[in-house]
Amino acid sequence: MICAGIDIGAVNTAVVVLEGDRITGSRVLDSFEESLDPRQVTDLLLEKSGIRWEDVRAFVATGRGRNGCTFAQKTGSDVACQARGAYWLFPSARTIMNLGAEASRVVSLDQHGRVISFATNDKCAAGSGLFLDSMAHLMNLDVSEIGEFALKAGSAIEVSSRCAVFAESEVISHIHKGESRENILAGLHTAVADRIFELSCKLTFMPDLVLTGGVAKNIAVVKLIEKKLGTPALVPSNPGIVGALGAALIARSIRE
Amino acid sequence: MAESTSAKKHLETTLLVPALRRKYYAESLSQTTGQKICWCSNGIPSEILDAFGINAVFVENYATVCASKRLSSGFCRAGERAGFSQDVCGYARILMGYLLGGTEAPEAPYGGLAKADFLVVNSYSCDSRMGWFATMQRTLNIPLYVLDAPYQPGGGCMDEANIVYTESQLLDFVTFLEGQTRSKLDREKLRAGIDLSRRSADIQTEIYEMRKAVPSPMSAGDAYTVVWPGMYMAGTKECDDFYARLRAEVNHRIVNKIGVVPEEKFRLLWSGLPFWYNMALLNYFEDFGGVVAIENAYFRSEKSFPPQHHDPIKDMAITSTIKRPYAGDLEQRLQLTLDIVKDYRIDGVILAYNPSCRLMYLLQPELKNALDCHGIPNVNIECDMADERTYSEGQIKTRLDAFIERMLVLRK
Amino acid sequence: MDIKLDLLRQNRHDMARLWKKETGGKVVGVFCCNVPEELIYAAGMLPVRLMGEKEEASEADLHFPSNCCPYVKRSFDQGLKHRYDYLDGIIVPNTCDMVRAMYGTWKMNLDIPFAYFLEVPQRISPRGIEFFRERILDFKGGLEEWSGCEITAKAIEDAIETYNLNRRLLQSAGRFRQDGLLSGVECQNMVISSMFMPKDEHNRLMGAFLEEAARRDTPPLGVRLLISASMLDNSDFIRLLEECGGSVVADDMPAGSRYFFYSVNHSSDPFFALAERYLVQVPCPRKMLPRDRFEFIKQVMEETGAEGAVIHNLKACDCHLYEYPYLKKMLQDLGLPVLFFRGEETEAEQETQRDDIEAFIEMIRG
Repeated sequence: MICAGIDIGAVNTAVVVLEGDRITGSRVLDSFEESLDPRQVTDLLLEKSGIRWEDVRAFVATGRGRNGCTFAQKTGSDVACQARGAYWLFPSARTIMNLGAEASRVVSLDQHGRVISFATNDKCAAGSGLFLDSMAHLMNLDVSEIGEFALKAGSAIEVSSRCAVFAESEVISHIHKGESRENILAGLHTAVADRIFELSCKLTFMPDLVLTGGVAKNIAVVKLIEKKLGTPALVPSNPGIVGALGAALIARSIRE
Repeated sequence: MAESTSAKKHLETTLLVPALRRKYYAESLSQTTGQKICWCSNGIPSEILDAFGINAVFVENYATVCASKRLSSGFCRAGERAGFSQDVCGYARILMGYLLGGTEAPEAPYGGLAKADFLVVNSYSCDSRMGWFATMQRTLNIPLYVLDAPYQPGGGCMDEANIVYTESQLLDFVTFLEGQTRSKLDREKLRAGIDLSRRSADIQTEIYEMRKAVPSPMSAGDAYTVVWPGMYMAGTKECDDFYARLRAEVNHRIVNKIGVVPEEKFRLLWSGLPFWYNMALLNYFEDFGGVVAIENAYFRSEKSFPPQHHDPIKDMAITSTIKRPYAGDLEQRLQLTLDIVKDYRIDGVILAYNPSCRLMYLLQPELKNALDCHGIPNVNIECDMADERTYSEGQIKTRLDAFIERMLVLRK
Repeated sequence: MDIKLDLLRQNRHDMARLWKKETGGKVVGVFCCNVPEELIYAAGMLPVRLMGEKEEASEADLHFPSNCCPYVKRSFDQGLKHRYDYLDGIIVPNTCDMVRAMYGTWKMNLDIPFAYFLEVPQRISPRGIEFFRERILDFKGGLEEWSGCEITAKAIEDAIETYNLNRRLLQSAGRFRQDGLLSGVECQNMVISSMFMPKDEHNRLMGAFLEEAARRDTPPLGVRLLISASMLDNSDFIRLLEECGGSVVADDMPAGSRYFFYSVNHSSDPFFALAERYLVQVPCPRKMLPRDRFEFIKQVMEETGAEGAVIHNLKACDCHLYEYPYLKKMLQDLGLPVLFFRGEETEAEQETQRDDIEAFIEMIRG
């Protein structure tokens, strides 16, 4: 049986196709780069995987844009889908940190993968993926390389502002003072990790920890969170598709 | 620890305060006489506590100490982790971070606070104090006394019912303290304490009056420090001596025309609370030949109300009901600042918008409107008084530079 | 029927103007749950609770800073936008810093013939009740002096009767909501409309409404929720909860149970009875030592079989925000999942809230 899930986030759209217990196709599209709507993204993926629309038995949508998805039979919240996807990948998962472009959330699971509690960040941008994007831009780097840079720092600068706009002006003044990019980035990553850590303090932390979402690809964020919590983190090979995977799993369970 | 950003002090007497403060915290920590320790809010008449021999610890002050030692980020963060919103008073978040932060909180200045036996809060200044102290009661599980009194938006009120109620609450407070200390109130001692604190308060009023002098003998950088003994040692001889000495020094500077800056070009009023983590900002204007000549927080222009009754409690009830701080009518409160501008020959006003001090913060926009209406140059900076994460040096200085430039152009 | 209740709020200004035209009486704006409206009603005036609209507080922005209570700020904004021009007076109790600040600002910026500040003691004690009784008498005197008419003992007695009936009807509505005969939105709209309609008229409306509701088939309830909020002066948030699969069966809110729980006792001294009801019985975090409040919430929760609690505090609402960490702990210790929002009451906010609410409901359903 073929089922699919789509995660329509603030920046990215991810689709996962599931056949039985196997992921047969997945795709993450940056909606800024390619002006494709969720339908077109799905078309492309299905075509590539050699699957026809009518073969997809159930489709579930998640993410902030889920309610605008016309072809899904059902929607699931981000919390539920992230939990479902992460637990399927790592049955030992008890805490999921989903680090997205705009939203960060922490979810606690019991041993059966059921959500016990969760916390979402406030709407403030400091600590989000978009914040790291704009900081990378400020330093003339690609967002994919800033994590490596941060790890090479001699000493991290202190970013005291809790507001993204203020943090930006602090960073600029450090650039003007001639501070190294590595040290500035180390400071910024520490600030981001602190934010996420603070969010996790709203719940009772239990290992194993799984990191999902685009920001989980950033090696410095991962290392800093591991250090803060004193526990290693499990990171899926493609952390950006976990929500869509969870949605596909929910789709499968509708049909079962 | 982050670098110090305390204000440059211009008066020698001011330099005595840090030692007094250290002694105050050390004494409450080291006392072995079995004195009761009471954590209280500002505005609690400490003369009553003194008369019982109770050691009063004003926790708001401790929060400003933490902020001035650049520890507010760490403590606030710890307080927020414990569940307190970033909206609530920065002082409260610091204290809750200190109490609940565990290993996540920074090391406490002065070796921490002496353990409290009970808590006392007043109801008539702000909501935050009530919420904060109720919270501490839950955390520490010790008795909390709420000293209640009418609020009186008209500024003063001779209404008999208000006085009767205030007296009943003071008497109830005394009963509470008698229970806590298992001793009786020494009314003579209370009377002496009140008389002494009246005297020191009047010297402070005199000093405020003297600060009208040009060039300014004492700026806000000193003033925010020298209010300390009056707030936390009221009714003691040490406090009284301190202000007598300060008055003499200010007088000496006036007579000899010793100003804060060599050549005074402009005079400013600081409205609201200072940023305790960066008091040096108050000196910033001095490089431009300017001086923050006066501030409206803690300001007093009137002599203390004369004793009304032989019984010290009755006296307190009457005088405090008639004159209660923060309780003024909005128009009166605006007028007070407009009068300061005139009396102290102020060229411009810095409006500190301290978002977590709701009491002062809520008044600032109307004050800004009133200043604009009278053509008085002003600039607002939105930064918390205690939480330094709200502060952005570059932005603020750019704003202040533009303000100074505009003000000087306007004056020509 | 629900739509009609919604319309009442929208039409409240027209209704008040019409009432004024028909009766020639005075309309008085009030804030918070501590003003004994009975006296205003007994004086032949119409008390209306001041409320805001979800629009840019463009006018009030000049008078209040950004980080303050959106409810009070928006209500004042309505005043500045001339939507409350029909008011003859305002009564502002000493309930919080923001409300107190608003008293001065309203008086200074808007032309209002009568503005009265009602002192409310912050400490609950026998002396406090006695003192509040004195303040209520002073308030009565103020109203009489202003209107030039005596407020008779009979009129006060009748007013208490009418108000108590309204409370009983609203309490029935609360029970209906528990049984699924009424939705949380309908119940909330009833409370809100009671806050600006003449009470006798509202009693008639409610009587008819409840009679009809009693004959309804009960649809299955969603996830049973308790909501604890600072001020919600509209039903949008509750609608959102119910759209996401929740059913609000109990509340702890000023525009909710704090308005209708506990009646005024029959007493030879109605002023004492009013003082007791409005000071002691209103479980507001500002005046009570919060432990008692928690007992109240616990009791409500148990009686209604709530499965989850949603806490909605307006930003900068100090009285509620200090209490939150302990309230949350108390509810969690009782085994109740808790969802918290610091609300700004903007339209845009609802979408992010929807995400969390859906996840919360899914979590409870398991």
